[in-house]
Amino acid sequence: MEQIFALPYEWWKEAVIVWLIISVIIYLVVAVPGLYFVMKYRYKPGEREIGDHDFESHAGLEAVFVVIPTLIVLFLATYSFSIFKKMRTVPDNAMTIKVTSFMWGWQFDYLDEKGNVIKSVLTGYNPNDYTLSEEEKPVIPAGKPIKVLLTSMDVIHSFYVQPARITEDAVPGRITYLWFQINKPGEYYVFCREYCGTGHSHMFSILKVVPPEQFTAWLYGNNAVAIKSETNKEVAQ
Amino acid sequence: MREAIHVEKPYFLASLREWLFTTDHKKIGILYFTVSYVFFLVAGLFGMGVRLEQAQPGMQVVSYDTYNYFLTGHGVVMLLWWAIAAHIGGFGNFLLPLMIGARDLAFPRLNALSWWMFFGASVLVLLTLIPGNQIKMMWTGYPPFSSNPDAGVTALYVFVIHLLGASSIATAVNFIVTYLKMRAPGVTFWKTNMYVHTLIAANVIQLIGVPSLAGAVTMLLLDTYFGTNFFNPAKGGDPLLYQNVFWFYSHPVVYVQVLPIFGFFSEIVPVFARRPLFGYHTMVFAVWGIVALSFIVWIHHMFVSGVPNWIRVLMSYTTLLIAVPTGIKIFNWMLTLYKGAIQLRSQMLYMLGGIFMFLIGGLTGIPNAMVAIDLGISDSLFVVGHFHYVLGMAVTLGILGAIIHWFPLATGKFYPENLGKISFWVIFAGANIFYFFQMVVGMLGNPRRYPDYPPIPEWAALHMIQTIGALILGVGIIIFTWGMIKGLISGEKAPQNPWKSPSLEWRLPVPAPAHNFGDEPPKIEKDWHPYRFDKLEEGNK
Repeated sequence: MEQIFALPYEWWKEAVIVWLIISVIIYLVVAVPGLYFVMKYRYKPGEREIGDHDFESHAGLEAVFVVIPTLIVLFLATYSFSIFKKMRTVPDNAMTIKVTSFMWGWQFDYLDEKGNVIKSVLTGYNPNDYTLSEEEKPVIPAGKPIKVLLTSMDVIHSFYVQPARITEDAVPGRITYLWFQINKPGEYYVFCREYCGTGHSHMFSILKVVPPEQFTAWLYGNNAVAIKSETNKEVAQ
Repeated sequence: MREAIHVEKPYFLASLREWLFTTDHKKIGILYFTVSYVFFLVAGLFGMGVRLEQAQPGMQVVSYDTYNYFLTGHGVVMLLWWAIAAHIGGFGNFLLPLMIGARDLAFPRLNALSWWMFFGASVLVLLTLIPGNQIKMMWTGYPPFSSNPDAGVTALYVFVIHLLGASSIATAVNFIVTYLKMRAPGVTFWKTNMYVHTLIAANVIQLIGVPSLAGAVTMLLLDTYFGTNFFNPAKGGDPLLYQNVFWFYSHPVVYVQVLPIFGFFSEIVPVFARRPLFGYHTMVFAVWGIVALSFIVWIHHMFVSGVPNWIRVLMSYTTLLIAVPTGIKIFNWMLTLYKGAIQLRSQMLYMLGGIFMFLIGGLTGIPNAMVAIDLGISDSLFVVGHFHYVLGMAVTLGILGAIIHWFPLATGKFYPENLGKISFWVIFAGANIFYFFQMVVGMLGNPRRYPDYPPIPEWAALHMIQTIGALILGVGIIIFTWGMIKGLISGEKAPQNPWKSPSLEWRLPVPAPAHNFGDEPPKIEKDWHPYRFDKLEEGNK
């Protein structure tokens, strides 16, 4: 079995596939007969000048149009609920990082069990391109659930972990949360997805996922760990 | 006033004085529509600026701030001018009295006031073109950002919303009273055109919802300029309050925008299928079902805003349930085609294309409503692609087709049929290339409202394809606009009731005369129905 790459990405992908299959079926069920009717029942002068006037409504058929879509959407909503519950329930072994947003960057505070800050990483604003220096990259251990506590110092921002496909807004005056887990070491993008002004599109960070031993060394050491920086960043497909 | 009925001069050749002081619903409708159409073209250019900037990674065309202004202007103008004013102020004014056999709206002078308030808002929006006056807060204007200097002139945004809101409330009252009180004898609830049903439903939403939006922006104004703290967390306020009050109206408003378009589909498809609208009664129930549900789904705009988990799940259910009444409409349009006698005139192509876009838009709305998927695609270009299928293209194709359909009634001339067909295929191809790939890049994770994005080769390629689609779409709009001008100047003269429709507005000579049906309401036969083609006089079937 293929190894799970990231959470909640795997669940998200599964939900997308379920939606896509159902949508394609619905699409075909509606569009194919529609196109067929358009081709078959054409106006022909002298022969077919007026359409049928008897089949104006059909109680049974219309009831089917109500009942079947209702069942489909109830299924989809409940299915999405079941996945949503997993997405929003933080695993017990999660590591907590406090993320404070500002225009335009984030401060990452690594907390111990008592909530004291062990280490902080500041990702500032780089308006020129999408690269960061090594000290600006937050580091997380591979294969461990990460709980992110979010807030903002100025306007509303958000925190979107692109490989994990999870977002939550950072709202001033509130603490919001999300959790994710990435199993494959590498460098991944984090973006702000809530519009926050001039620097919005360059409010990004690069998440460095490293094996757990390296992470511990990084967390308690003084220097940024030198892990092999890949020239092409991992972008989840 | 009796003589006025027999005026031979077409009303659109009236003097400037008559246009300025008019209370005639047809003239006001045309004024609304003209302003909206010009604004549509301008907002389209703004959108094109946005699109060209994203064609490649890096900044080539405009600065961040210009981009943000373009995107704000594109959103505000397309939503409030094109997707509301064009077909409620424009078509609604023009068609409502004609379809129910009335002389004018119930309160013609109130209608003129609505129009002039709308005109005032249009002038205010134009003021943002002056450097230093730009608004850059996106059409949603979320605080605390919108109180920030980086957001531009907050007051302009607030006053635009206030003026448009006052105008919309006056129009809503006017339309609802007109429908309730001024129908010709014989036009009963179950013999009302679908367009009128949808128009009234949309205006009921306006009446209930607009005050909520006005409240949101008023608080924003007070916070920004008068030191109140509704949205300031440092003094006990809450930014999410704005989002709740804003979306309480601004979600239902998408049905204000799209319901009358469903009305257009339901009017024009039967005429060119020569067959009654299938499931007319369920269609009416579906419209009101959508109105009721539309007010209890707004949290789906806030699925990642930090609201409690339970409300997200609850509103995920209610949002998905809207698919049921919407689905009924699509099934009914498809069954209207069944055993019809279909003529693919250009406006029929526009309607079928609009329904097709709406079907895709509806199906791609599902993942936005499924809260588990939305956590991964919220505020991404997927959402943008989705609502451009629904609000962008279903609405635009609906309005453009409606222009072709009612062109003879307004001008006495035909819209050039060949330009109608060409523009349809160009627009349809361009829009599908554009918005489909916008959804794909959104699924890959590209956030929305980004002038720049990381140089990931796939993203760059997808953005280039979208830009090509957008250029094709732009060419289609230019062809369509050229067709309107050509039709006005040298269009073929149209006979009365050119489409052989049983609907009441076509009992009038073309162009529609002043005071419509005159002193007496039109005589309506007992077995008349706006969708019964077999009851038309011989030769008109």
